[in-house]
Amino acid sequence: MAAQTVTNEPRRLSNAYQNWYRFSRNPTAVIGAGIVILAILAAILAPWITPYPEHVGAVVNFRARHLPPSAEYWFGTDNVGRDIFTRVIFGLRISLLLALVVLGIAIPVGTTLGLLAGYFGGWVEIVIMRLTDIALAIPPLVMALAVAAVLSPDLINSMLAIAALWWTWHTRLIYSITRQLRAQEFVEAAETLGASKFHILFREILPNCVSALAVKTSLDAGFVILVGASLSFLGLGIQPPTPDLGTMVASGSAFLPDYWWESVLPGMAILVVALGFNLLGDGLRDLFDVQEVR
Amino acid sequence: MEFLSFLFRRVLWSLLVLVGLSIVIFAIARVVPGDPARMALGPTATAEQVAALQEKLGLNKPIVEQYGMFISGLSRGDLGRSLLTERPVNDDIRETFAATFELVLATITLAFVFGVPLGVAAARWKDKWPDTLVRVLAIFSAVTPSFFAALLLQILAGYVLHILPTTGRLPHNMEFVANITGLLTVDSLIAGRLDVFGQAVRHLLLPATALALATMGQIARITRSSMIDVSSQDYIEASRAFGVPEPIRVFKYMLRPSFVPPLTILGLEFASLIGNAFVVELVFSWPGMAAYGIRTILQKDLNAVMGVVMVSGVFFVLVNLLIDVLVGFVDPRVRIRGSR
Amino acid sequence: MTKHRLLAATALSALMLGAAPAMAVTVTMNTVQIFGTIDPAKISDYTDYMAAVNLYDGLVTVDSDGNIVPELAESWTVSDDAREVTYKLRDDARFADGSPVEASDVVYTVERLLRINQGPANLFAGVLEPGSVTAIDNKTVKFTLSKTFAPFLTTVPAIFILNEELVKANEGDDDGQTFLATNVAGAGAYTLKSWDRGSQMTITRNPDYWKGFGEGSIDEVRWIVTNDEATVRSLAASGELTMSSQYQSPDTYAALEAMGRFYIAKEETSTSFYLKLNTKLAPTDDVHIRRAIALATDYETIREVISPGGILSTPLPKAFAAFHADDIPAPVYDLEAAKAEVAKSKYAGQPIPITLGYVAGTKFEEEISLLLQANLEQLGFVVTQQADPWNRITEIAGKVETSPNVNQIFFGPTYPSPDSMFFTQYHSSAAGTWASIEWLQDPEIDALIDEARATGDVDKQIELYKTLQHKLVDLQPDVFLNTQTVQHAMDKCLTGFKAVPMMSFDYDFTRYSWTC
Repeated sequence: MAAQTVTNEPRRLSNAYQNWYRFSRNPTAVIGAGIVILAILAAILAPWITPYPEHVGAVVNFRARHLPPSAEYWFGTDNVGRDIFTRVIFGLRISLLLALVVLGIAIPVGTTLGLLAGYFGGWVEIVIMRLTDIALAIPPLVMALAVAAVLSPDLINSMLAIAALWWTWHTRLIYSITRQLRAQEFVEAAETLGASKFHILFREILPNCVSALAVKTSLDAGFVILVGASLSFLGLGIQPPTPDLGTMVASGSAFLPDYWWESVLPGMAILVVALGFNLLGDGLRDLFDVQEVR
Repeated sequence: MEFLSFLFRRVLWSLLVLVGLSIVIFAIARVVPGDPARMALGPTATAEQVAALQEKLGLNKPIVEQYGMFISGLSRGDLGRSLLTERPVNDDIRETFAATFELVLATITLAFVFGVPLGVAAARWKDKWPDTLVRVLAIFSAVTPSFFAALLLQILAGYVLHILPTTGRLPHNMEFVANITGLLTVDSLIAGRLDVFGQAVRHLLLPATALALATMGQIARITRSSMIDVSSQDYIEASRAFGVPEPIRVFKYMLRPSFVPPLTILGLEFASLIGNAFVVELVFSWPGMAAYGIRTILQKDLNAVMGVVMVSGVFFVLVNLLIDVLVGFVDPRVRIRGSR
Repeated sequence: MTKHRLLAATALSALMLGAAPAMAVTVTMNTVQIFGTIDPAKISDYTDYMAAVNLYDGLVTVDSDGNIVPELAESWTVSDDAREVTYKLRDDARFADGSPVEASDVVYTVERLLRINQGPANLFAGVLEPGSVTAIDNKTVKFTLSKTFAPFLTTVPAIFILNEELVKANEGDDDGQTFLATNVAGAGAYTLKSWDRGSQMTITRNPDYWKGFGEGSIDEVRWIVTNDEATVRSLAASGELTMSSQYQSPDTYAALEAMGRFYIAKEETSTSFYLKLNTKLAPTDDVHIRRAIALATDYETIREVISPGGILSTPLPKAFAAFHADDIPAPVYDLEAAKAEVAKSKYAGQPIPITLGYVAGTKFEEEISLLLQANLEQLGFVVTQQADPWNRITEIAGKVETSPNVNQIFFGPTYPSPDSMFFTQYHSSAAGTWASIEWLQDPEIDALIDEARATGDVDKQIELYKTLQHKLVDLQPDVFLNTQTVQHAMDKCLTGFKAVPMMSFDYDFTRYSWTC
């Protein structure tokens, strides 16, 4: 028998699989991820999985108004007889879409500004960070209301107003990470090798921010949904009859406590979705062991 | 000495921020489409009347000059006249701000009074059921939208159990004017009116709780984690080894350094606190600045809108300044590190 | 700070004077919009008038049948050509501060009203010029009209008399507007006790009121501003609400009645509920589209389920019995006929965009709008809902381009004459307000209205108004939804509500009494 001289390296599990394994050990994180995935799927498949998809349009059925939850109408009906379950699922679409819009603006803008401020320092840093301070001094809801006063009070304008303030959180986060990384060796090495600023910022530093970004985005999605719902609740939502979770809670509140389902069930939907993103974010934070993100 | 320079620097930054804020607000307000003069006079006004009011309000002057008027007015404490109520915005805001301020104070008090002990308990019995309970509560309170919490509390305590009032600061047939501090709770005690005090507190409970939930949860979590960090420190081990009784160990040695993170959290949460106050005030018909702000925003009452946003901004900046100073006072490392 | 001291002093003295505080009768009522002003020269909507009618008195007032009855004036005479009206003031008429009401006060009030040119001033445009009101002697005042204006006598209740001395002493540089924005200078039964602009107003009985009070009079009225159904219910449940507003949802009225403490006072009124159609903006500029909308409206469901009321077939409600054109049939709901009308219009054959406006936050208006949308979409319309707060509606009504195609508006006579229904809504010179958002501007209609105002002959008036009604129904500038059946949930101990055909005069709390 010839001696085997080839040493067998134990097969290393891939990084992704390791992360997945650790993540799945965390029950709350899994629940969070589950909720988020379910919500996104439900939103995408809404027209096909809801029992009364036409109820998001101008349908009125006064004979069926204010019905309690039943087999026919899982979440009951509202004041003009529309199925609440269907409208909640479609309302999720709006909420998720808006989270996408706000974060879609806030993340690129905030990250870029944070990178610039953290890497270049000097007056670039001062200008950007002071701008951030000013933006942070305005409560987002107040800003949205002021914008609503200037332009017309609808959800798009309000969310743009929120986005105009939301980038600040990302800027601060990326800024503090960049500052720490700036002094690291691999950055010095890249600089010595003559890499372009663009390369250093986006190819060296940014990848190290990804985990923090992932955590923050996930947590943020939940909060953006809450803020959006608050704005709709105040009356800055989508015009009827398009369903919107915050508006539904506000509408339904006129009928408390008798027809509680009209207000409580959409509210619970908001809560559950926000919960999902929150748990997911927490799980990711534990996974990547990211400390800076609140 | 370094504390003073730290203080000086923080104040300077704050002033800069406020100036920037005023420019932003002014810019927004002036972009408003629709003529505020026409709105105030109503649809039957003649062109001359509208022109006269425009002149009076200085709406025809160049933008920079209008900003100058705005700033000089601000520095005198004059926020202009509300077009709608025709009273100085000052007066309107002073009346409503006291209500909001009292609500926010009650909220912060509740958040700390319940948040910190919960965090301590969670840390003490880490990984046992109190810990899990607190963490679950904290998560739920963070994701519940304030308006939803407000509505639920209203239903539960108001309609179902009938134990707490759900609107206003006092019962509508109770006479009392808080003219010393503007805070009903404080003024009623000073005036010796215990019945008013009782009612004021009862009316505060639901809105303050609805508002405090999210912050309470965050504070509990942060207190818990910082207590855990602190308890693993050497000097705590030493004190345990020396037989220092547990209550003293917890309250004297562990709690004080753990106080910094909750304070910082409060500073960060404050913006959303003000924002959520708007919603909660609406649900509970609380006569505060939020309701006033929403109404004037919808009616494009320029001076009033700018006043509300300015006051909110100043309030926010001052509170953050206060917290930064407190933190700097408690934790020397922050002072030395200086700017953020 | 002075105001706080004043309030504190008032509160304190109220506590001391209220020797038997349990006996003081307070009526707490909710209103769905804020009080814009208490200056009688600027009042314009139902809440303004509601406050004014209690804080001030006029020369005359209106009873529930629409008759003009004496108040500060004890009698009046009209000249033969109807161009001069002379009022004789009562000897015992006194302002709240004790000074007598004199002719000079009336002159001052009217002159100031014309100068400021807001609020009720538009009722007298072209009728009263500066200098047309003169004091003959201390207690006699003469109005000289620039032209014959038949409804003049019915507009006089809207002139609330100011205490000239008091206002002049606080005139400032704006004709006393700042002073009267927060103070009362009148002869009304109640004085202003407190006013938190955004949330409540409290008025209290003036014990020296010149007319005196009867049994069971209301000592204090407290208005709470909220249109939120949940808040109204919670106030009712906690015992704090005595009377609800007339704009709550049917569910709320039912809930309040079920509490046992309330009864629902229901009255037919002369206030009408219209869908006002913008006749100068596409697609409602085409009469066939307008008729189609009228045919696509489910009147029965609205009347029975959403907003109770009586049948309305012309712009003039049946309450004006003598002038009502009874031969005009009630409007019909017929979707097939509606489709036919659309086909006849110039927009046929393509998707037709249309905006439906209503008052944000008003549940039943939202329901009506959704119902209309469901029907209109079947006819090929592309509907956009536009919910705005009331003050924004008042603003966008000022321009043709910003006025929505369809608007849900309640309109009641601002003075008890059919002229009020026609002039304010359809005459060209009344354009630009929420009441005339049809932008009708039709010279034929104008001529008829002017003619009817200029003649004192009642038969001629009847003929003219009937012609007007026929013409307007043909033009269809509105969909006639219903006449409002006003509903109030009232505490069983409170009586006295009777609908009056003049805005908010039925909320004159001297007409109410507490029977417990």
